[in-house]
Amino acid sequence: MDYDLSRIDYGICGITYPDTLKILPPSGQKMEQKFAIGDKNGVLQCLSIKDEEPVVQFKTLPGKPITSVQLASSIGSQADKIFTASGNEVKGYTRKGKVFLSIETSLTETITSMYLHFRCIIGSDLILCSGRIVTYYRDLREYNSYVCDDRVLDIAAFASTRVRLLVLIANKGAILLENGKLISRTIISSGPSRLTVPPSTHVTDIIAFYGAGDGSIGIITYEELTLSSKCLVDGRGLGSVVCLGWYFNNGNFHLSVGRHDGSIQLYLVDMENFGEKPRLKYTYFCGEPVTSVVGGCLGTEESELLVATFSGRIFGLRSSHLVTGAKVPQDILATRRGKLEVEVARLEKQTANEREKYQRNTRSLQAGLSTPPLLDIEHELLGATNDGWQEVRITSAVPLDMLFINSNKKLEMQTDTAAVLSICSSKEAASDLLASVRCQAGTRRVWVKMREIYNLSTGSKFEGSRVLIYALPAGAPRVARLVTLKLPALPYYSSHEALEKNFEKEERVWCQLEISGNFSVAEITSWLTEALPGELPRPASNVSFTRSHTLLDTILVCQYERGHATFKSDNVSTIATIRNIVSNCSVEKSIRVEMSCDIPHNCCLESFKQLENKFKQEYKKSKDIILKNAISMLDLDSSMNEEGPILCQDYARVWDSRDSINETRFEELVDIILQWYLDWRTLSLLENFNNESTKLEAALKECKVDDIIKILSKNLS
Amino acid sequence: MQLSTVQPVFKLELNHKITPDVVTIAKYDGTHPCLTASAGYDKIIIHHPHGGMVSGRAQRSQAHGEVSELNLSQAVIALAAGPLRPDTGRDMLLIGSPTQILAYDVHDNTDLFFKEAPDGVNVIITGFFGKHAETLAIIGGNSSVQAIDWEGNEVFWNVVSGKVCAMITFDFDKDGENELLIGCDDSFIRVLKNNQFIAEIAETGPILCLSPVNEVRFAYGLANGTIGIYEEGIRLWRVKSKQNALALQWSGDTLACCWSNGRVDWREGTTGRVLRRVQMRANAAAMLLADYRSVGAPDLVCVSDKGEVLGYPPYQENTGFNTGTKSMPSDEDRLAITELFNKKQALMVELQHYEANATSGSASVENLERPASAMPTNTRLQVAILHSPEEACLQLAVSTNNETVVRAALVLAEGIFESGETFIRHPQPSQLRSLLHVPLRPPRDVPVDVHIKALIGYPDSEQFHIFELTKQLPRFAMYQSFTKEVRNKGNSYVTFRITERVQRICIWVNQNFLLEEELNIESEETKELHINLLCLRDQSYLYMDFAADGRVKFSTHDIRLAGDLIQSLAVYLNLTDLQVSVFTLILINLYNIHPD
Repeated sequence: MDYDLSRIDYGICGITYPDTLKILPPSGQKMEQKFAIGDKNGVLQCLSIKDEEPVVQFKTLPGKPITSVQLASSIGSQADKIFTASGNEVKGYTRKGKVFLSIETSLTETITSMYLHFRCIIGSDLILCSGRIVTYYRDLREYNSYVCDDRVLDIAAFASTRVRLLVLIANKGAILLENGKLISRTIISSGPSRLTVPPSTHVTDIIAFYGAGDGSIGIITYEELTLSSKCLVDGRGLGSVVCLGWYFNNGNFHLSVGRHDGSIQLYLVDMENFGEKPRLKYTYFCGEPVTSVVGGCLGTEESELLVATFSGRIFGLRSSHLVTGAKVPQDILATRRGKLEVEVARLEKQTANEREKYQRNTRSLQAGLSTPPLLDIEHELLGATNDGWQEVRITSAVPLDMLFINSNKKLEMQTDTAAVLSICSSKEAASDLLASVRCQAGTRRVWVKMREIYNLSTGSKFEGSRVLIYALPAGAPRVARLVTLKLPALPYYSSHEALEKNFEKEERVWCQLEISGNFSVAEITSWLTEALPGELPRPASNVSFTRSHTLLDTILVCQYERGHATFKSDNVSTIATIRNIVSNCSVEKSIRVEMSCDIPHNCCLESFKQLENKFKQEYKKSKDIILKNAISMLDLDSSMNEEGPILCQDYARVWDSRDSINETRFEELVDIILQWYLDWRTLSLLENFNNESTKLEAALKECKVDDIIKILSKNLS
Repeated sequence: MQLSTVQPVFKLELNHKITPDVVTIAKYDGTHPCLTASAGYDKIIIHHPHGGMVSGRAQRSQAHGEVSELNLSQAVIALAAGPLRPDTGRDMLLIGSPTQILAYDVHDNTDLFFKEAPDGVNVIITGFFGKHAETLAIIGGNSSVQAIDWEGNEVFWNVVSGKVCAMITFDFDKDGENELLIGCDDSFIRVLKNNQFIAEIAETGPILCLSPVNEVRFAYGLANGTIGIYEEGIRLWRVKSKQNALALQWSGDTLACCWSNGRVDWREGTTGRVLRRVQMRANAAAMLLADYRSVGAPDLVCVSDKGEVLGYPPYQENTGFNTGTKSMPSDEDRLAITELFNKKQALMVELQHYEANATSGSASVENLERPASAMPTNTRLQVAILHSPEEACLQLAVSTNNETVVRAALVLAEGIFESGETFIRHPQPSQLRSLLHVPLRPPRDVPVDVHIKALIGYPDSEQFHIFELTKQLPRFAMYQSFTKEVRNKGNSYVTFRITERVQRICIWVNQNFLLEEELNIESEETKELHINLLCLRDQSYLYMDFAADGRVKFSTHDIRLAGDLIQSLAVYLNLTDLQVSVFTLILINLYNIHPD
C-alpha cells in the first residue's frame, strides 16, 4: 500500500451506469481537465473543478437514461466531442454543450438500455452494441453487423489500415471481428466483464486488459493470428469488476479498478511488459458499487483519480500531500461547507414540510392516490456454475434495511457476510419458503445465493421456482420494492455453446423431443424461460441455439420455428423436464401440442460412460471428506512428530490436502443418474420396477461401476 | 467499517492450541502475571515470561521455552485464579473438571484442596462476596452456585433455575458489599445477595458473559449475538451481531468486545458505537485484562485459539482512526462535506418520493390505470391482539382501513419465535386480504415489544408501502379472562395478605393482563375483586381473588406462575416483604420479596 490518497467529494448526480464518466483532454495551455458524466435521469453534465468545487460547464435537460458516454474527435483534433447513448439514440455534443449529432438507430427492438455499449468512433465509424449484436456504422449508415453467442459486454476497436473489434461476450470470452466476420476467439472462464486498452500503445498491437466477474484481472492479446488471454491478478474474494480506467502518476501508468463491492484499486502496470503481474499500490473502500474510475488532472496540476458510484456520488482521490499541503485556502473550504450546510438545512426543512403534507394526506377523508416513484433497485440473476448455486445481486441507491424473500419451493440459501439470513417456517404450505436477510447499516448491495434442494420424491423439478424478493430500505421513503425472479428448472444449462460446433457428430447418444402444435415462436420462448437460465434468443422466424450443462457437460440443442420445435440432448432427464414444462405450459395456455420422444434404449448407459470418470472422482472425494472429518477430530497439529509420520500414507495425503477437499457433488450425481434411469424408463414406456431402482441406488452409492453398467444395460436387447 | 490499523503493543505465540474460554491470568508469585490456559483435553499450559519456575508437576513444554505444561487426568472445564489464602498475596489456580475442583498452589507446588462438585462445574470465579472478608472461590454448576473458602469449606450454596454460564461479583445495590450476578442459560441475569435473589433481569437469550464496567454499570453478552450495558438495572444500549461475544472488558473508558470469530472492537460506553476494530488471524479463545508488560496499567490481552497472544493498551482517542496523523482543520471540513453530501443525497431521494406523489395526488382512486406503486393516501394500519383459545395462541391482527391488502407482515420480537426473532407471514396470492393474522406464542411470562413491519399495497403492486408499528405485549398476555362462575378452583393456591385498595389492584391487572375490556370498578364501595383466567398454553385455569379483608388467593397449578404474579404485584405495590403461604403438594415458605 504505497500511495496515500484522500477523498474529496465533488458532488452528486443521478444513478450512473458503468463507464459513464469521462475526463476530457486538456484544452490549450491549461493543464486542468474537465469531465463529463451522464446519469439515469438522462442528464449529461460537463464539469470542471476549481478549488475542490465543481463548476458546471454545461448541463442537459433530463431525458432517457444515459447508458454510455464516450469521447471522440473530429479529424486531426483532440478527442473533445462527447457522445452519449440512451435507448436507441446516439447524441454528440461539443465541449461547449452544443448538440451536433443526433441519430436514432434502427436498433429499436433489440436495444436494451442495460447492454447498450457505444464505444468507439474512429473517423466517421460508429460501433454500437446492443444485446447480442455488434453493429458497425460507416458515415451513419449501417455497414455490417455481427450476432454474438451471448450478450456483448464491452468492446474496443483497433484501427490501423483496417478496423478490428475486440468484443467481450458474456459467459464466453472474447472474440476479434473484422468486417463483420470472426477472425479469432478465446475462452475466458472467469467471466470477463470489462476491458480497457492501455494508453499510448502502438495502434497495430491488439492488446487489452480485462476485469472479470470473479474479481480477477487479466490481459487479452492477439499475436500470430491467435487471440489469447492470461489471468494476471486473482480475484481473491474481491468483488466483480465494474469498471476499469487508467491513472498516470509519478511517471507510471496504473490500472484503476472499480468493483461491485465498493472497492477501488490501483495496480502499477509495466508498460514495457504487459504480461508482468501488475502490483497493487492502493485500495480504497467507498461502500457502494463503483461505476467509473478514471485518472486526470482536475483541480490541480497533479493527476488524481475521479470516481463515480452507482448512487451518483462523484469524488476525487488526491495525493494526501496535495490535500494537506493546503493549496486550497482554508476559508474557501469553510465557505463550501457553509454553503452545503445551508443547502442541507433548506432541504431538511423542505422535506419536513413535504413529509408533513404527506402524512396529513393519510388522515384526510378524500382519498387521493399515493404513487411514489419506484425505488432504484437493480438486480441480476447469474446462472449456476458447476456447484449449482444461482446468485442474485441486488444493488440499491439507498441503504437497505432488510430483504424479505419468498419462494414457492424449498431452497438452500446463502448470503453476504454483511447480512444475517434467517429462514422462517411458513404456515400456508409446507412447500414454500420464507426468509429474511437483515443488512448491516449502510448496505447498498447484497447478494443471495440460492440452490434448489434436490429431491427425487417431489415432482416439482419439472417447473422453475418463483422467488419474490422485497427490498426494504433503511430510511425514507418507506416503500418496499418487489423483485420477482424465476429460477429455471434446468439452472445448469447456463453455458452457451457456439452453433458452428457440431455436437451431433460427436459420440453422444441423442434423445430427441419433437413438438408440434399451434404455437408461436414467442410462446415457446416464454415456455423455455421456465427451463433455461439466462436470456434466450429473441423470437425470430427460426431459432436455434445450444447450451451445455456446467456440471455434467451434457448438451442441449434447441431448434424451433412457428408450430414446430425439436430438442436434442444426451441427457434424458433434460428432455423429460422440457417435455413436462412444455406440456404444463401448453395446457395452461390451452394450446394443443403433440409431442413425441425418441429415446435410444442405451442412452443411460452411454451417458453414464461419459460421466464415469467424474463419478469415480467425486466418489473418492466424498470418501476423502469422511476421512478428513475423522482425522480432524484427532486434533493433530501436524501429520508428523519426532518419531516420524503418525498417519499412514493415504491418511497423510488427505491431511495434507485438507483445505482443498471441501465439497463433493457425489450425492447429487447419484441422484442425477438415478433420475436418468427413472426418466428413461418412463419415457420408454417401461414399467418402473422399484426393485431395480433400489438396486441401482445402492450400486451408485457404493460406486460399483460394474454393477451400475449391468443394471443400466439390463433391458437392452 | 474498515479495520483499524492499530498495532498491538506486544505479540507472542504460545505454540499450543487454546481451548476457548478456559484461560486465566494469575500472579502465582504475587507479582508477575502468567497466562494460564487449557491446551486440549486435560493439558494446562502456563506462560511465564518473567522467569522460569519449572518445578514440581509442571514440565517444560517442548513447543515453547517459556511455557510449562501441567497434565491432569481429567478434562479441564474451567480455570480461575485468585489470592485465596489470606496469609499470602499469591494467586492460587483453581481447576474445574466435570465433577471436581482442584485448588493448586503453582508457586509452592502444593494442592490447597480438592473438592467434589456433584452439580458439575461450568464457571469458576474468585472475589469478595457480601460480608465475607476473605476471597472466595465461587463455582457455578448446572443448577446451583456454591462458594468455598481457601480450605475447601463451603461458605454458601444456593439453587439457580438454570445452568450457570457467567458470573461476576458486583455491587448491584450500592450498599458497599458485593452481590453475585449470575447469568444463566434460561435467559435471566439474577442478583444474589445474602443467599437471596434480590433481582431478576429478563434477557432474550442464554447469557454468555458478564463484565463489570464501573460502580453502577455492567456489560453482558448473549448467545444470540447481543451485547449491551446495564446501568442500575436499566439497559443503556444493546447491539446485535452475527457472532457471539466471547469476552467483554472495560478498558480505557471503552467497552472492548471480543467476538468468537477473532474480531475485537472497542465501543463507546454510553452508546455502543464502534470506535475501532481489529481482526485476529484465528478464532478467539479469550480476552483478559492484565498488566502483562509490567508497566503499571492493565493491557487488553487477546488470545486466539491457535495460541497467538496480542496485547493492546487502553483505547485513546487520537489512536482511534488515523494512527499518527494529526487531524487538520481542512480535513475536518472535507469529512463534513462528505457527510453533508450523504445527507443531501438521502434528503433528495425522500423529496423525490414526495414530489412524485404530489404530481399524481390529483388522480382519483377510481382511475383504472393504476401505477404499480400506487396506494390511497388515507390508508392506515390497525393492529390488535386477540386471544385464540382454539389455536392456543395470541393472534396479532394486522389490517388496513380500505381495499388495499396486507401483502406481508414481518414481526420482530425476541424470545417468542422458535426460528429466531423474526416471523413472516406472506399469504398465497389467492388469500390476500386487508386483514392478516399472525400467531404469537410467548413461551414465558415476560413483557415483549413486538415490532411489526407490514407491506401494504394492491395484490399486483410492484412496490409496497411499509407501515411500522410497535406494540407491547403485557407480561401475562397469554391469559384470557372469562366470566363464567366457578365453584371448584382446584387445591393448589397461594395466599397472602395485602392492605391495598382494590382500585390500585385494578390498575395492576389492566397493565399486566390483556383483557378484552379494561377492568373497571363501578363504585367506590367495591372491596372485592375476582378474576378468572384461562392459560392459552395448557388450557389451565388461573383464579385471582382479592377479598375485602385484604386476603389474596391465586389459584393455579403452576407454581412458577404464582411466583411471577406475586413478584409482579409486589414490585407494583412497592412491597419489601411479603409472607406467602403455598398450598400444593409441597409446602414451602417461598418468597421473601425485596424489590430493587
